[in-house]
Amino acid sequence: MRKLSKVSIYLCVIFICLLCLIPFLVLIILSLNSPQRVFYEGNMFIPDFYLKNFAEGWVKSNIGSAMINSAFITALALIIIVLLCSMAAYTIARFKYRFNTLIFAVFISCMMIPGIINTVPLYTLMIKLHAVNTLWGMALVCAALAIPQSTFVFHGFIKSLPRELEESAIIDGCSWFSSFWRIVFPLLKPAASAIIILNGFGIWNNYSQAVFFLQDSKKHNVPQALSVYFQQFAGAKWNLMAATAVIAIVPVILAFLLFQKNLIRGLTEGALKG
Amino acid sequence: MKRKKLLSIMLSLVLIIGLLAGCSTSKKDDTQGTTEGTTKEAKAEDPTAADTKKEHVNLKFFTGKIETIDVMNEIINDFNASQDRITVEQEYQKDASNIIKIKFAADQVPDIMTTYEQGFADEDKYLDLSDQSQWWSRLTPAMKDMCTDVDSGKQYRICTNMTMAGIFYNKEIFKELGLEVASNWNDFMANLETIKEKKPDVTPFFIFGNEAWHLGHLIEFIPQGYIKATYGTVEAKKAFLDNDKSKLNFGAPDGALATFAGNLLDMQAKGLINSDVLTATSDNCIQDFANGKAAMFSNGMWCLSSILEANPDMESNIGFAPYPAYMEGSKPVILSAEDSGYSISSTTKYKDEAIEFLNFLYKAENQKKYSEALKSPSAFTDVNASWASEGIVTEVNNALNSAVHIGFTNEKPAGFSGDDAGRMVQELLAGGYSAADFAKAFEEAWDAGMK
Amino acid sequence: MKEKRIGLHTFMAIPAFILYSIFFLYPLAKGIGMSLTDWDGITKAHFVGLDNFIQFFKDKRAVNDIRTTLIFAMGSAPLLNIVGLGYALLMDSKIKGKGIARMLIYLPAVISPLIMGYIWYLLLQPGRGFVFHFLDNLGRGAWFGNWTASYANSMLVLVLVNVWQYAGMTMVIYLAGLQAVPLELYEAARMDGATAPKRFRYVTLPLLIPSIRINVVTNIIGSLSVFDIIMSLTGGGPGYKTESLSIYIMRMCYGSKTGYSTAVALIMFFIILIPVLVSMRLTKAKPME
Repeated sequence: MRKLSKVSIYLCVIFICLLCLIPFLVLIILSLNSPQRVFYEGNMFIPDFYLKNFAEGWVKSNIGSAMINSAFITALALIIIVLLCSMAAYTIARFKYRFNTLIFAVFISCMMIPGIINTVPLYTLMIKLHAVNTLWGMALVCAALAIPQSTFVFHGFIKSLPRELEESAIIDGCSWFSSFWRIVFPLLKPAASAIIILNGFGIWNNYSQAVFFLQDSKKHNVPQALSVYFQQFAGAKWNLMAATAVIAIVPVILAFLLFQKNLIRGLTEGALKG
Repeated sequence: MKRKKLLSIMLSLVLIIGLLAGCSTSKKDDTQGTTEGTTKEAKAEDPTAADTKKEHVNLKFFTGKIETIDVMNEIINDFNASQDRITVEQEYQKDASNIIKIKFAADQVPDIMTTYEQGFADEDKYLDLSDQSQWWSRLTPAMKDMCTDVDSGKQYRICTNMTMAGIFYNKEIFKELGLEVASNWNDFMANLETIKEKKPDVTPFFIFGNEAWHLGHLIEFIPQGYIKATYGTVEAKKAFLDNDKSKLNFGAPDGALATFAGNLLDMQAKGLINSDVLTATSDNCIQDFANGKAAMFSNGMWCLSSILEANPDMESNIGFAPYPAYMEGSKPVILSAEDSGYSISSTTKYKDEAIEFLNFLYKAENQKKYSEALKSPSAFTDVNASWASEGIVTEVNNALNSAVHIGFTNEKPAGFSGDDAGRMVQELLAGGYSAADFAKAFEEAWDAGMK
Repeated sequence: MKEKRIGLHTFMAIPAFILYSIFFLYPLAKGIGMSLTDWDGITKAHFVGLDNFIQFFKDKRAVNDIRTTLIFAMGSAPLLNIVGLGYALLMDSKIKGKGIARMLIYLPAVISPLIMGYIWYLLLQPGRGFVFHFLDNLGRGAWFGNWTASYANSMLVLVLVNVWQYAGMTMVIYLAGLQAVPLELYEAARMDGATAPKRFRYVTLPLLIPSIRINVVTNIIGSLSVFDIIMSLTGGGPGYKTESLSIYIMRMCYGSKTGYSTAVALIMFFIILIPVLVSMRLTKAKPME
């Protein structure tokens, strides 16, 4: 009986994984096809193995420098998000000050406002701050846009941590501020990993803000590098684009494996402590 | 105690703001110190510095033309190397026509741009180029007309190339079935019927209606093409701008628009167009045509390189024809219009520098390079570029000689774009309108877009 | 005790708030002002009062867009939660290779949306996509007909693809939430002879309430502001049949109706606000025992 359910769990997981793998497989097949290939002719699962796409994609798109830019922006933005939002969520979850409640209400309601309203005023502001065409400017914008949801997530997790954890430290003469960093923050690892995963790829793949704030081709990020394959009135060079996208996805997958390991480590640590 | 709390809040607020401010300024210095680009830009944006010292000038060149990124980079590098005062920077955007609107709204207009909107011309957002005779004297007169703003009679842009749109056809299929290029609608339909009958696997006429711009182009080239051919370029432009109903006559049940819609529905009902007209994409069309699965389709010269990439052997097999006449007493039409139009912002601080760069760009040798990269003929009379294979050039010239030339409809209402019109054609093809209802709805939408 | 000293903890929300104010609230305040004008992005704006708001409800296209958006969200938001929770429970069980499995599930959300849209269409295009050709090779091409021809099928495909792409995001939050469930609680429940469904109902679920709340709210907001999935699969068409409110706003904004698009964005805010408030009330965390 036990074994049977184990087998069915594995079958389920394999099925789901295959389902989620399909889009990526399509991308791989595209990246290996020659420009003349019509995908369904012949066996559509066996591409042409036209590896020239990767070399040409690498040269044509500047994806190398775009990846460095995206990595810098993503890393800086994520550090800001994790530090600021965990702090904000902590005080909001633990202390019912009026302005804490207010800030939280503002965050939650702003999650529901479509960002397009901001486009023009934000652009003007960025120019005034001399932040256009700077990686730090882009990182700050990306971080700011992620603040409400990340605070909301941290808030949920801090609420589920027992308050006694810090109170004993307070009795030992620790301040709330330092007990947050010493006791609570390390426990937020699973939540922080979740937030890094949730926001990280969005920032890495950001296009709607990058279009305005990273105009200089030396400052382009990954989606901008990919966008050079789109032709407005004549389709796109899909094989090159797919090859470039596959190149750009490698570091992303590595990063994911790194942070999801943290999710598991969080579990085992928790189990040991419990 | 309450006051104490308030005080400490205020104090720490000041402290944090101070910290943040300190932080951000130091960061700013940092980036300015390390990246040359920002420093130059900061200086360039300071007018006094530029005027008095005649120091380095950074020109921003904004383009949505992906086909020319590489050749433009080459020319720009040559220009930047040819003198040491002006540096031109190219910015490419996939969604250029939308993004330029935001740039105008935010007052961040690039110095030189390849996008042109009637609305901006009306608001004097572009520099008047009428007195740049060194360019106009070299330009073919028809292209100068295309660049002329009807209301003011001035030129706010100059186009360096021409593009053509009409009907692409597969020469081999035509030869095999003994077909001739049709000059009127009945012959055109007869050709399609023959193809359908003799070659059931081939789509007689391919329409990729998933992409609204394509359907919008059909409207621009066929029913509006009739208007433009009947009244001539300038009169038609005026009629569009003034919404002169006696000439446009969009809503009439027997007008050009209703007839066009009726013809389209007729083709659909008879199975002469692809059955997946609403979901087919431009890629599908090019693949099917390149592999002999579609006999004809409407598009512009800009799709030529994609066809050749999909099937290099197609080169000698590509035919090009005008749109057949379909109204009583009308003639076949072909789009022969401006491509690569350049405008200068009217608010630029570097008018002279922008013109200096364009002078360089418009040198005959650079234009030859440009034309060959873009694969479209030059609009300058002194540029002799081999922009396509001889067979295609002959096809195009024959088509041009056998039809009335029309331009794009640049005078569309601000609130009713070509894509909006295309989406109405989608509704038509999805069975949402009869031909007469379509014409009426189109007129209403056009009027509403004028506001 | 906490009232005695005003420590740094009092101000811990300030840095986040300041950053947010600079890059969101300040531009927002300027943006909202535009909703009362007829600004077209080119000429001078004129004050028109509430005209934009009245105009919205008179526009048949807009009313249809509200309908499409609501139908989409009613399908997508609950399904995302259920599927995401299911994934998380599976991935939290003791199986080998779950690191890889989690990554695969999250993969559709990792590929740049710019390309993802194209891939979805290449997969699902009627009569031409991968799925059609795959079934066609098996002689079952008829199983995958023209789903864009009917509104109901279009909506169904849009919802399913949305879940396909974003269930991984919901899973990540649930996975993190499951870490908070102490293992000994499970063991205790198992000792007491509770069956697996009972353990889930009485042990896991109550402790998951914070994650449920986060996911419900996020998915409601995300589903009601759907944009890219619809853009890539139907383009809102044919015509405007499957257009969502976000697409409408974008098209108005770039169609020289900047002021009006701002007003619609505010209307959309209220459309989202109601279900979010309700769900926040319903998932209010109960004091933990």
